[in-house]
Amino acid sequence: MALAALRSSKWRSFLTMLGIIIGVVSVVTIVSLGEGVKKQVVGQISRLGSDLITIRPGQLVTRDASGTITKINLSRSLGISSGSLPANDLSIIERTPNVKTVVPISLISGGARTEDRQYNNGYIIGTNDKMPEVLKQKVNFGAFFSSGELGRHVAVIGQTVAEQLFHENVPIGMTFSIHGQDFIVRGVMDKFESSPVALGPDFNKAIFIPYNIGKEITGGNTQLIEILVRPTHPNQSAQTIAAINRRLMAAHGQQNDFTVLRQDENLAVTNDILNLLTGFITGIAALSLMVGGIGIMNIMLVSVTERTREIGIRKAVGATNRQILGQFLVEALVLSVVGGIIGTLLALLTNVLLRIFTNLQPVITWPVVLLACMVVLIVGIIFGITPAAKAARKDPIEALRYE
Amino acid sequence: MPLITLKDVSKLYGFGDATTVALDEVELEIEQGEFVAVMGPSGSGKSTLMNIIGLLDRPTHGNYTLGNRSVARLRTNQRARLRRDKIGFVFQSYNLLPRLNVLENVALPLAYKGVSVTRRLKRAGLALEQIGLGDREYFMPRQLSGGQIQRVAIARALINNPTLIIADEPTGTLDSAASLLVMELLGEVHKSGNTILMVTHNPELTRYANRVVYMHDGSIVHDERTPIGQVPRLARRSMQLFPRKTEEDDLAGVSALMKAIPHKESLPKKSRKIKTPKRRSEATRRKAKK
Repeated sequence: MALAALRSSKWRSFLTMLGIIIGVVSVVTIVSLGEGVKKQVVGQISRLGSDLITIRPGQLVTRDASGTITKINLSRSLGISSGSLPANDLSIIERTPNVKTVVPISLISGGARTEDRQYNNGYIIGTNDKMPEVLKQKVNFGAFFSSGELGRHVAVIGQTVAEQLFHENVPIGMTFSIHGQDFIVRGVMDKFESSPVALGPDFNKAIFIPYNIGKEITGGNTQLIEILVRPTHPNQSAQTIAAINRRLMAAHGQQNDFTVLRQDENLAVTNDILNLLTGFITGIAALSLMVGGIGIMNIMLVSVTERTREIGIRKAVGATNRQILGQFLVEALVLSVVGGIIGTLLALLTNVLLRIFTNLQPVITWPVVLLACMVVLIVGIIFGITPAAKAARKDPIEALRYE
Repeated sequence: MPLITLKDVSKLYGFGDATTVALDEVELEIEQGEFVAVMGPSGSGKSTLMNIIGLLDRPTHGNYTLGNRSVARLRTNQRARLRRDKIGFVFQSYNLLPRLNVLENVALPLAYKGVSVTRRLKRAGLALEQIGLGDREYFMPRQLSGGQIQRVAIARALINNPTLIIADEPTGTLDSAASLLVMELLGEVHKSGNTILMVTHNPELTRYANRVVYMHDGSIVHDERTPIGQVPRLARRSMQLFPRKTEEDDLAGVSALMKAIPHKESLPKKSRKIKTPKRRSEATRRKAKK
């Protein structure tokens, strides 16, 4: 019976639901995007192995005396490349006991160009021959530059670069130039599932050149955004971290402007950042659910006034106040719940489309869908009860006289 | 024992100096099975009386017994349930819910009783057949003529087998042919044993009633019983003065009628109390508290 009124004004009902629909779609999509990114990053980080140690510029975390993280400095962690480590940190770390391999990741400004094409929206990264080993990343075609080639103008490129700069899958042996210097392509990397540097550049868009050559062509002006370290004995990584920390502190004049992180800590930091971001955006999206609820209340109030005469007739034939309240509350609930269902379906569709047309991998989390539906139900009750109570309170005689 | 007993029933509106008296200590008894027509000019308290008897409104003071139950002070929900089970309403216009079809409209009171959809639609279908509108079940109200709408409304009023049917100017917006059909239907309902209370401006229609009550300024000024089929003496007098043509003539007829009947004060009415200002303000205060 409550549905009759909604059926007879389909267009109005749909517009009323639109607020709820948009709210649900945005909340579910944003959360599933966040979950997707988190899953990728977490997958990557754990794939790298728990013994990997990363050193990054800036004080990202605060530790207590025993070394456990007490606070994460989110504002610093959010910046992708917040500053640079001094170049001689590399040699200090290399001399630390129990350090097996050290891999620098440095960003080099500028773009690459071939005779007829330019490539500016990628990254040029200076690193060394150990990078594939430490990141457990395979080379798809050709080979990574060896330790003997670190002084030569050679490069290994990511998949995206191969496609965009050379328009072919295996451009091995072809040349391009950076800062006017020619480089020969030695290999093409296998696809990076996600950025190895937390929230860092997409390595599929990167051109890898030897670290020293990178310093040479820019006149030493590179940005060392991360140093990756593998210890000889993984079970002693705690001592290794302490040792690196101590030595770097001494070298930096006791300035705590760098962060040494174990892989699990890295995970925690990344998770925290992503949770904060997702939570923040979800909060904004949740506001639109509230706005949708207000829209429902608005329409229900109008509807109650328009149907005063109907309320009078219903009361005259014996409807109790509670039955009138129930009728209008059910109408509001139907509006919000149907809106919620349509929103959920649209969110699923959005997910599929995002997976097909972008490289994002959103993950639908059912608890969030359930939560969104519950919120929608609660919104329906909260914003439906006022108009319904107004309808129930109407005096039957005045309602019957209403034209 | 009478079906309806009103004792000293008054209804006041407003406060202080602006208080208006819609009903002034009305005494009325209606027996089971009576067809009572209520006449009187606008503002004479007919509608207020109908609303109080129909349990849509509460008297400011006085006592009202329906069946053998005192109902003047019942709570809202109890009154709603009594309206549902004991009283059927037929209004002057806009009687049906425009968004529901004829069948659903007739079944509406059953919905509030908790009867299942299939059963209530079945019963509504039967009721429609009885009034000869069985082929209009799935029409929407706007597709029906005014007379048909009123007959559907009567079917709805009857669906719960009420003890009392209240019709507030049921023919007020109808032409004479449609009025006749509606009144014939009400007459049949009366013959099958229902008690009917009808407000009308049309003296001609009082021939369906066996009792006519005349109201003026919130009081019942005359109460007359006639056999069914006869227009009572007072109503007839106004008809002779103004041969009835239109609604406006009806109203004029009623005015003439009111002039023709003996004046209120001169009527022999036992112990009519003059209201003291004190008592009225007391009642007002009680109302304000609510």
